[in-house]
Amino acid sequence: MGKKLLFLLGLMFFSFNQNLIAQEQTVTGTVTDSENGMPLPGVTVLEKGTSNGTSTDFDGNYSLEVPEDATLVFSMVGFMSQEISVSGQNLINLELSPDTEALDEVVVTSLGLTREKKSLGYAVTELDSEEVNTVKDYNVASSLVGKVAGLVVNQASGVGSGSRITIRGNNTLTGNNQALVVVDGIPIDASGNESGGSIYNSTVTGGGITDINPSDIESISVLKGPNAAALYGSRAASGVVLITTKKGTRGSGLGISLNSNISVEETMFLPDFQNEYGQGTNGALYSDLDNFGSNSWGPRLDGSQQLYYTGEQRAYNAQPDNVENFFENGIKSINTIAMDQGGENHSVRFSYTNNQTTSVIPNSELHSHNLNLRGVIDLSDKLTLDSKATYFTQELENRVNVGTEGVLAYVYSMPRNVAIDDLKRYKPSLWSNPGMFPDEYGAISYAGQNKSIGNPYWMLNQDTNDERRDRFLGFSKLNYEFTDWLSAFIRVGGDVTNVRSEYIQDYGHHFFYDGRLNFSNRKNVEINSDFLITANKDLTETLNLVANVGGSLSKRTFEGMSVSGNQFRLPSRSFLNNTNVQTSTHTPLGVKKINSLYGSFSFSYDDFMYLDLTARNDWSSTLSEDNRSFFYPSVSYSLLVNRFIDPDRDFLDMLKLRASWAEVGNDTDVYQLYQTFSVPQQGYLGLTVLEGPSVKLNPDLRPESVKSTEFGVEFNMFKNRFYGDFSIYEIITNDMIFNVPVPFATGFSFFKENVGEVKNNGFEIMLGGVPIQNENFRWDISANMSRNKNELVELIDGLDYTVLNSLGDLSIRAEVGGGIGDIYGTTWKTNENGERVVNAEGFPVASNERVKLGNAQPDFIGGLTNNFTYKNWNLRFLVDGRFGGEIYSATSSYLDAAGVSERSLEFRDGGVTIDAINEGTGAPNDIQISAQQYWSNYSGITSNYVYDQTNVRLREFALTYRLPGESIDNIGLTSASVGLIGRNLFFLYKAADDIDPDASIGTGLSGQGISLNNAPTIRSLGLNINIKF
Amino acid sequence: MKGILKTISATLLLVFVLAGCSDFEEINTRPDAFGSDEVSAKYFLTGIQIELYAPNRFPYWRAQLIHADRYAGQFTFGFNGAWWTGALAYDYNSAYTDAAYDWIAGYVSNLSVYQNFVKEGGDLENQNFYAIGLVMKGLYYQTYTDTFGMVPYSEALDPDIITPKLDSQSEIYRGVIAELDEAMAIIGDQTVTGEGIELLAENDLFFNGDLQQWKKLANTLKLRMALRAQGAPGADFAGTAISEALQAPLLSSEMDNALMEKDTEIDQFGNAAYGDVWHNFAGIGSHWNVSKTLIDYLRENNDPRLSRYAKPIIGGEFTFTKPAEGSGSSLFDKHVDFVLGELDNAGVPYTRNGSGDEFTISVPQDQDYYVGQPSRLNPEIFPHVKNDLFSEPADWIINPKNQGLEIFPEIVFTAAEGNFLQAEAIIKGLGTGDAQELYQEGIRQAMKIWRVEESEIETFIANEEMAQLNGTDEENLEKIAIQRWIVSYTDGFEAWAVVRDTGYPSELASGVSDFDIYAAGTLNGKYPQRMRYGNQEYNTNGANVEAAIQEQGPDEQGTELWWAQN
Repeated sequence: MGKKLLFLLGLMFFSFNQNLIAQEQTVTGTVTDSENGMPLPGVTVLEKGTSNGTSTDFDGNYSLEVPEDATLVFSMVGFMSQEISVSGQNLINLELSPDTEALDEVVVTSLGLTREKKSLGYAVTELDSEEVNTVKDYNVASSLVGKVAGLVVNQASGVGSGSRITIRGNNTLTGNNQALVVVDGIPIDASGNESGGSIYNSTVTGGGITDINPSDIESISVLKGPNAAALYGSRAASGVVLITTKKGTRGSGLGISLNSNISVEETMFLPDFQNEYGQGTNGALYSDLDNFGSNSWGPRLDGSQQLYYTGEQRAYNAQPDNVENFFENGIKSINTIAMDQGGENHSVRFSYTNNQTTSVIPNSELHSHNLNLRGVIDLSDKLTLDSKATYFTQELENRVNVGTEGVLAYVYSMPRNVAIDDLKRYKPSLWSNPGMFPDEYGAISYAGQNKSIGNPYWMLNQDTNDERRDRFLGFSKLNYEFTDWLSAFIRVGGDVTNVRSEYIQDYGHHFFYDGRLNFSNRKNVEINSDFLITANKDLTETLNLVANVGGSLSKRTFEGMSVSGNQFRLPSRSFLNNTNVQTSTHTPLGVKKINSLYGSFSFSYDDFMYLDLTARNDWSSTLSEDNRSFFYPSVSYSLLVNRFIDPDRDFLDMLKLRASWAEVGNDTDVYQLYQTFSVPQQGYLGLTVLEGPSVKLNPDLRPESVKSTEFGVEFNMFKNRFYGDFSIYEIITNDMIFNVPVPFATGFSFFKENVGEVKNNGFEIMLGGVPIQNENFRWDISANMSRNKNELVELIDGLDYTVLNSLGDLSIRAEVGGGIGDIYGTTWKTNENGERVVNAEGFPVASNERVKLGNAQPDFIGGLTNNFTYKNWNLRFLVDGRFGGEIYSATSSYLDAAGVSERSLEFRDGGVTIDAINEGTGAPNDIQISAQQYWSNYSGITSNYVYDQTNVRLREFALTYRLPGESIDNIGLTSASVGLIGRNLFFLYKAADDIDPDASIGTGLSGQGISLNNAPTIRSLGLNINIKF
Repeated sequence: MKGILKTISATLLLVFVLAGCSDFEEINTRPDAFGSDEVSAKYFLTGIQIELYAPNRFPYWRAQLIHADRYAGQFTFGFNGAWWTGALAYDYNSAYTDAAYDWIAGYVSNLSVYQNFVKEGGDLENQNFYAIGLVMKGLYYQTYTDTFGMVPYSEALDPDIITPKLDSQSEIYRGVIAELDEAMAIIGDQTVTGEGIELLAENDLFFNGDLQQWKKLANTLKLRMALRAQGAPGADFAGTAISEALQAPLLSSEMDNALMEKDTEIDQFGNAAYGDVWHNFAGIGSHWNVSKTLIDYLRENNDPRLSRYAKPIIGGEFTFTKPAEGSGSSLFDKHVDFVLGELDNAGVPYTRNGSGDEFTISVPQDQDYYVGQPSRLNPEIFPHVKNDLFSEPADWIINPKNQGLEIFPEIVFTAAEGNFLQAEAIIKGLGTGDAQELYQEGIRQAMKIWRVEESEIETFIANEEMAQLNGTDEENLEKIAIQRWIVSYTDGFEAWAVVRDTGYPSELASGVSDFDIYAAGTLNGKYPQRMRYGNQEYNTNGANVEAAIQEQGPDEQGTELWWAQN
């Protein structure tokens, strides 16, 4: 050790001396693209044999101090490197030629290994920083929409809620269908990313990817399916979103960059409301205050003075904008400052991001701070330390809950003559004459006081639904280069998430008059320790082997506590000791460990034939001793056939055929093996009571298995002007560890078993090119499209389907022969002759039986990105769409039942006699019913509200102007740009009424296929400013 | 170099594989629950008692109140200001039906855990506990099958049978009676379950561990079920069972009442009471009234229970406004005449001011007028059904928890019914004895539960026609049925079964037909004969449900059950 250190010191001294001795001079110049003469930013300029270097700025300019006799090496990915000897020149301008020979686009793959894309035997899509940062959203997932073939993002609702990311469909019924998120090689905790789904009151939390700061992202690789992810193990069975974060650049000196992304948010669209009839029922006004209800089935709005819900007389007029005016303009402001500095043997980067977002929903806000420090340092010429620490804290005020009792349930259904400003006075003390309400405390809504109808302003101002998340993410990695072909690293990564939530329904609340509260605290910790030994060796002239052998210890823990209180003693404040009835729960520390050993062997033959083999063995603490060890392999192969077709690359730069097969195993949660009995906290009359379990656990659980086969073709033509990628795949999941619902008579609700088979197959197409390219103008276009077909092949003997969620007669199922997310429900009842029937009163009747009405997964998804560059101007926009797939809009059904929708105008005038057979008489119906009777019964028939998901929208738009080099040089800037950005600008087509079919009530499997009073989709328009010093 | 590498790999391998897995069993053992070696059966018994009679608020509201009590014609929604119209549940509603089904059908879970523990060879084997379990199972299955019809029975409680068939009601009745016989045989002359941890005392919320009382309960249940089965196709076991039951001790005196005390100091999300539904929500939306049928029987027969069951109306000023348009407008006169007719019927004086499209009435306040609200009113008459014109349940029934107030206990089985059942058997010629004496003793016991004064009881029995079995057999059976129905107040499941079985009160059993006033619903006016199966049964046991439907008739609320077809 001592010797080594001495040697190191000597080396440093030597190089230091050398610098002193040689004559220093400054070399400047501009690097351009030989193809089009455009300046090339980001070209590395290095003094050969040293680590002295810099990179070109946005205008391709560089400046570097070097000895007179130095040689400069100019290099950039995708271009051929060039070496120029300085020989005393002060100005060296250079053209770099695209490297059509190698096309060595490199991508980050499993275990953080950088690979040449051409050598991969499976599909990977890579996005760069710009693609997630130009039109920024606080949730990175929003920036993936439409850009990656095969990746579906389902949005939830409101600020601070998460999204659901699935790649190549739902693989399993066990819930874990979302892609694994890996940051800098370490899987992060994703608890909270499957939330919501309750039809009454669904809180959709964030988790996983939502805590990653987009500004720190260098690149994102999407590894689709198990093939690409084989080495990440069980959690990667549904694909991986691999995020590489930024670090400082060596030898670049101090760089400071500022980014400011500010936009105004507004509702993209709202349901269509009627403005002809007001509050009332049966065509009449509510006669007195006791009698007041919330329906809009009253008489025609005529401006006459009528009884209002406050007891006053008011003009009975339409308030066409009352719903629209409830929503405010939100402001999303995300600001980042980043500093990096790179020296000869170190680089360091610090960034701070501040996000202040106010929602379109009053008093609903998100504030977050993200601090990130990354340092890389050469401890010796062989030993490198790379460390990162990220702290993230987020406060979320008044998260919007969705569902039948969510805030928006009371917004959308607001009677058409209620003035929105009146609702802001949601309790008597806010009125000038509080005495006009009988109760000093009770909530007032548009049906009057204490009517169990929520007032949205009360819910947002008086009640509380807050969350505070603190998260620490970090790692340290020591890398040692044994020789030029052998290296190894060890790494420890930590991820600590603390979530505190406060939920209060204040005294006087419309449902829980005496009020109640719940405070909870949850902590998740994940520690991953791993090592990897990498050998890269030419075995013969033409055969190269890269071998990796590694292992990891993964430990995940979780614990939680929650206290609840009911009935506030004194009405004025809501805290725990002020409640009458208190209960608490505790989830003791739970630990799950997975130990793994893995290896990969990549052979490349003469740079045109590649074979990858991987193997992994996991040992999971959640399975019994006999089953806890499981092994899974993968193999992939790729062949560059262009060398046989067009050896001179006259038109074909690359044509690759690829094939791969992989298997991934999957374990389960803690405590799923042995039966236990729980003690309900309350007991009864002071007695101890024990309860049996509802799930029959199973000590013999085996790991799940996911097998995937994939074939693909990639090509690149006309010197990168036209390229494409086509994949076809099949993924089969077996032995799902599933809570099989069983008849109650068995004594259980569920048996935990290994069951079933799920098959996903589909294809993905990506095509792109540069149709126009000249000195001043360049047009890039790329399109992707994918199709996934999901089928539940088998469940368990005697069971044809399982229900994932239900709402009234609607159920979301996974059915054998059908798929995961099949939508079932009633239709209009018919008699044995197939004629529609009405009941004895002449009302529409729902069928007894439920039939399949659709599936919650889209058939096709696609995106089209255009990017135009003219001199310093850049215009890019993304149009994306979903095609096929269905969603049930409970929102629409409730709007119709309440008589507020535009649809509900039908039959208002004089009612309707439905042409059907009357069940009471068996004869053709002759009973006339009112519009209210029609719609309140019609709205109960599921099939009337199942909509096609097909929609196409302008998802992202950015017009950026890069300030010319001369003008900014003067004020000391390296680069500066300003952009006009927009998201969700408009629909080119949308089949569904009222709702955004991309959004549903939750991010778990149970949340799919139902839209229920979701927060409106947000359109944002703003500015993006980038400044670099 | 290679040597170092080998050493490193070997060491790491060792660390990973061997040391790493040593604590796996330990960390995968749940710390906050018990294994079967740590517990006693008695704690489970308390659980299966409260789960059947005081479940949490979700099913208590939806199964007990929304369905059973309202189908029984004892409670009603549908007054102005209520969340629901009177049509609720007569119009099939899958969410409420599923809530009820999931609770009743799901109850078997705890029962199964208990029975499998205490049965022969079980971890906590104890014959006496097993016998009690059989009686609980009988109580449960009677409710379960009387609500839905065919349900899994013979293949139930066996986790090895994943898709148990649904048995016919006659098989279930036959089987339950046999199991009650088995329970009584096991108990024999014993009084306690065992010693130490096996001594069941206060953990038995019905009888404080007294096995002889359990035996009486078993026998009385046997009599109830056999009488219900009697006359139904293939109920050949009924006659024998009735005569056996009549010869063994039955629940008959005050100390025999199986009433389950309510815990008034716990959170409703564990075990609910009516007050949890009534008081926990702002306003009167969640309230309900006592039905016309029940109030009329009590009032017209001078039954002293009237003031124990219900509160007088509040009265006051009421405005009736004719809707501007729609059928509510054309039926305005009919609607208000109907509502005012109920006041007339109850002898409530009122003054009417005005006429035509809008008028008011004035009803005296703070007077002891009791008016029952008709069941199944349609949404159009709803605005005119003023809550303060109808009687709400007595405070004892709907008191809130955690306020130091007493709450009426849950009825499991009354001594009153033990007497009524004997009287019924005698009149049907299936037993011998003094039917009238038993009938009057039944009334006496029924009134005592509600703390009616001794003198009031005797006055009623001495003077009221209703207290005398002095008519034809059919008339006498009607009176017994009515009294069984009245004593089952707050036990809607049993009260509803009485209506379906006996056809009394006939004004309930005949359904509704005037849809200007009443809601037709999916029953098209018929009286509900059963509830539809929950979706859970279709979802998990579809083929067997379809087979049951083939045998029993369509899965509709109007399909008559086996024992109602006589």
